[in-house]
Amino acid sequence: MNLVLAEQHDGILNRVSWEVISVAQQIDGPVKVLVAGQDVGSVAEELAQADVDEVIIIDDADLEPYTSDGHVQALAQAITSEKPEVVLFSHTYQARDFAPKLAARFDRALIADCIGAKSSNGTTVFVRPMFQGKFVADVVSEGSSPHFASFQIGVYRADEVKRVTTNVPIRTLNIKIDSTVIRQRPEPPFKEAKQAVDLTQAERIIAVGRGIKGEEHLALAQKLAKAFNAELAASRPICDAGWLPMDRQVGSSGQTVAPKLYLALGISGAIQHLIGMKGSHTIVAINKDADAPIFEVADYGIVGDLFEVVPELISALGNKVETR
Amino acid sequence: MKIAVCVKQVATRDWPLRVDDQEKWVRDSDASFEMNEPDAYALEEALRLKEKHDCEVVVCSAGPTRVSQVIREGLARGADRGIHVESDDLKTADTFVVANALADSIRTERFDLVLTGLQSEDQGFGQTGVVLAELLGMTHATIIMEVQVSGGQVRVKRELENGWFQWVSLPTPALLTIQSGINQLRYATLKGIMASKKKELRKISMTTLAQSRHRILNLYVPEKGKKLKLVKGTPPEAAKELIRVLREEARVF
Amino acid sequence: MLVVGGGPAGLSAALRLALRQKLEGEEQLSIAVLEKSREHGAHMLSGAVLDPSSLNELIPDWKQRGAPLETEVLSDHVYFLTKNRKFPFPITPPPLKNHGNYVISLNRFVKWLGEQVELEGVDVFNGFAGSELLFEDDRVVGVRTGDKGIGRDGQQKKTFEPGVDIYAKVTILADGVRGNLTKTLIRRCSLDEGCLPQVYAIGIKELWEVPQGRLAPGSVIHTMGYPLKFEEFGGGFIYALPEGRVAVGFVAGLEYRDPMFDPHIAFQKFKQHSFVSKLLADGQMIRYGAKALPEGGWHAVPRCYADGALIVGDAAGLLNSLRLKGIHLAMRSGLHAADVAFEAIRSGDFSVNQLHRYASLIMSGGIRKELYPVRNVHQSFARGLVAGLLYSGLALITRGWWIRDPMPTHAGHERVESVKKYYKRRESGPVAEEVKIDRALTFDKITNVHYSGTRHSEDQPSHLLVHDLDICRTRCLEEYQNPCIRFCPANVYEIIDATDGSGGKQLQVNSSNCVHCKTCDIMDPYQIIDWVPPEGGGGPHYEGM
Repeated sequence: MNLVLAEQHDGILNRVSWEVISVAQQIDGPVKVLVAGQDVGSVAEELAQADVDEVIIIDDADLEPYTSDGHVQALAQAITSEKPEVVLFSHTYQARDFAPKLAARFDRALIADCIGAKSSNGTTVFVRPMFQGKFVADVVSEGSSPHFASFQIGVYRADEVKRVTTNVPIRTLNIKIDSTVIRQRPEPPFKEAKQAVDLTQAERIIAVGRGIKGEEHLALAQKLAKAFNAELAASRPICDAGWLPMDRQVGSSGQTVAPKLYLALGISGAIQHLIGMKGSHTIVAINKDADAPIFEVADYGIVGDLFEVVPELISALGNKVETR
Repeated sequence: MKIAVCVKQVATRDWPLRVDDQEKWVRDSDASFEMNEPDAYALEEALRLKEKHDCEVVVCSAGPTRVSQVIREGLARGADRGIHVESDDLKTADTFVVANALADSIRTERFDLVLTGLQSEDQGFGQTGVVLAELLGMTHATIIMEVQVSGGQVRVKRELENGWFQWVSLPTPALLTIQSGINQLRYATLKGIMASKKKELRKISMTTLAQSRHRILNLYVPEKGKKLKLVKGTPPEAAKELIRVLREEARVF
Repeated sequence: MLVVGGGPAGLSAALRLALRQKLEGEEQLSIAVLEKSREHGAHMLSGAVLDPSSLNELIPDWKQRGAPLETEVLSDHVYFLTKNRKFPFPITPPPLKNHGNYVISLNRFVKWLGEQVELEGVDVFNGFAGSELLFEDDRVVGVRTGDKGIGRDGQQKKTFEPGVDIYAKVTILADGVRGNLTKTLIRRCSLDEGCLPQVYAIGIKELWEVPQGRLAPGSVIHTMGYPLKFEEFGGGFIYALPEGRVAVGFVAGLEYRDPMFDPHIAFQKFKQHSFVSKLLADGQMIRYGAKALPEGGWHAVPRCYADGALIVGDAAGLLNSLRLKGIHLAMRSGLHAADVAFEAIRSGDFSVNQLHRYASLIMSGGIRKELYPVRNVHQSFARGLVAGLLYSGLALITRGWWIRDPMPTHAGHERVESVKKYYKRRESGPVAEEVKIDRALTFDKITNVHYSGTRHSEDQPSHLLVHDLDICRTRCLEEYQNPCIRFCPANVYEIIDATDGSGGKQLQVNSSNCVHCKTCDIMDPYQIIDWVPPEGGGGPHYEGM
């Protein structure tokens, strides 16, 4: 049995949990989902729409607010009682906080940030990037179960989860939490404008290169980014010229990103730039030069003048813009 | 207060690496190496704490002979002592093995704080610190932006997703994994380099290591696999078609 | 004693001094080496074929100490190439005979040498560039290291560390070809009075891995002719190392007349020649780099001593351009400098009265013996390939005699002709040469730079000081069509459309790509480019080169 540990905050399910259910459904073995927290009944109801064997709830006041000590303690008991083959998480900040400790408690290590999983000869083989996405490794977890793996956000699709018409059973698991073991004392979370742009967290990125020709044309790219609800990024020369700040640079002297969508406008694809974005899930390139190396890594491409194509994209997405 | 900083030596960022003949690791005999950048931020945080409080900062690293380079760098930047947990087999070791080697070597020192970077730029599991905390029986917090020390407590600012943050208090001994970019890395000065030569660098030879918990079946260059689909037509046609495939095929929005 | 530069010359000097101190010295000497690269050998690039004579003297037990002299030279071939064919020289010219020499990686050799130096307790400070000489009157009293932590905007960052003034009784300048400190000293003390202007060549090299067994390790091949024109000096080299590694490169004299010449393109054309492309087939390029070489020979070597300072190695121009060897001369000059410095420290006199003995050692110690007979070789090639070959042949017999001695020459940047002049007598117009880049055998400069391991801290001012940007978009554009975009092997210089909307052009300097070859400092026709060291630690990483 493979156990998905769903994530919730304040009674709201984190959608990425659906992605992990999708993974679990694609490997061998029955699937169960577990959600832990306080007053998580409605979350469990939502999860019960998935085509899994059952949803398990752990409901305890000591699990709210989240602490790694509390979660590890509770989930360790759940794993001991449920005896799963594989425990699966989404590679969220929270999972990164407690999952390695949970695995270590079972004398195992977490296979983190996977982009794939496949069943082979009775074991699950996990696929994960290494060396900043330059390479990919097929990894297996040694020893007997349980094994632990977390999955990169966005690789699997929530909408691919097999669902059922009638909810699957929900069961409450009773565990005992010794609150004296919880050493962290968290204060309430707060929001703060981040100092610098963190492109690594962006789901979609529109990147501009030399082809944008002038600082005054950045506005066009910005409009496209807005239409896509994407972050704006750039190749080296744009940041060198000061048209965009250095924290928007993608490439060997900037950030390495792997968003769902990377749209490269007027970027030739020098190797220094490619190594910063090759791992993106979907790469689109718009460039006048059909021989530009960017097309070697792109999934979709338009050979054309970005000044003609981009306004059309913007209007097709529903925003009006003046064409040049 | 005693602070340990665990740093890893990794192949230089963006070095043109190649897969080795067994296809299980990279050919790093001709690579250039450096201190893992996230760990450099952890070291910088430790050195800042040293400036504010009365601390001893010990820089530790587990790996083959060559990792003494990053320990020396740490000493040159201002750490007081170094510990080199040495074994050639640590070159490709997984988190579990490394964390065990470190834990066995530093347990008796009874550090108050252990700082590590978020993740390594080679394997990128992002968990050596947390596993180390478990092995040492310490409480921990991850993705830390700020550290405040007072008495036997630390109060740390955790980064959460989407621009949210949270302060958490923990008792020492505690392990913290430090977020990158939270401060500016100081240079090793000439004075620092000269002083570092007189600082203690203790070598601990590991003859037996813990058993691996992972096994890499093979390492390979990701084939994009997908052939390029050129979207043709006039600009308005191509634009519409591109939106359609992105929506329906690639499903990026 | 302070040594600026951790190459073979500087490290030999430091090691020699430490060893003599250990054996004969009374009080503790403090010896330090400043090296701008992050790691021993990171900026070292050469073919290279090493004459071990100086190494034998400095470290007689080098073999037991594990010196990476992997491969003795097995065979020596010289070919003359035309576009489609190759013609072997019937005999290998004696100076190019390499019996008893080794094919090495200079990077690995210097890494090893650096370890030997540190074993003797010498402080080698990697990541620290010598940015200024310190003078008292006209006496060199030390070196100031470069500042660290200055932002792109020229302002001090929070991490700012000012350069340190290091005082030394004797400063040995081993800052390499066209060394920035040596340049200052020569100018200030007129050390080049009465000497010929120094002339240079650029060496561009790639390290390849080809199927094993293709080329026997120790094979040494030199070529002349294609793709250079008869009036141009230079040629190709291919040296085979163990395990299928091959060093392949091209040397082009930096005194060509054609302003449209691009040495990087010449290198690609060289690789495309069927002889070379067959050797590299199914191989992989794993490293790239470029560096200038001092080619002026004996008459261009300046006075190498001043009050408080000595100049060694490439910085002094000690390279045998006929034998294509300079490492052993660099090391030998380092040994001499160390011996002289040792005596000076013992005597307490660090002025030219003591230090001039360095010149005597150069005369008597074998360097002159080697360089004098070939003193006009490079200059003879300046008159064309045929003249050069004839003269070099003659020089072998006559030990360097010529009717006019020294053979007159001009600095390379003065020999480049304007576009109008050069193309007046030619049919084709001034068109920059192009080669079809396939990124398997041939590469564009940007891809190549990635394989040089070049990194600089991004947030720092440009270390390429272009003193008059107006010239670039007016005079230079018209007269020479901006040769910097062609002679730089790292795509540092680009001419782009002006961003101020004026419709003209402007120079863009991508200083972060710089591989520290010094070609721009040498070749810019108006001599308005000054190469200064960037923030210490930055630059290429020539692993295995």
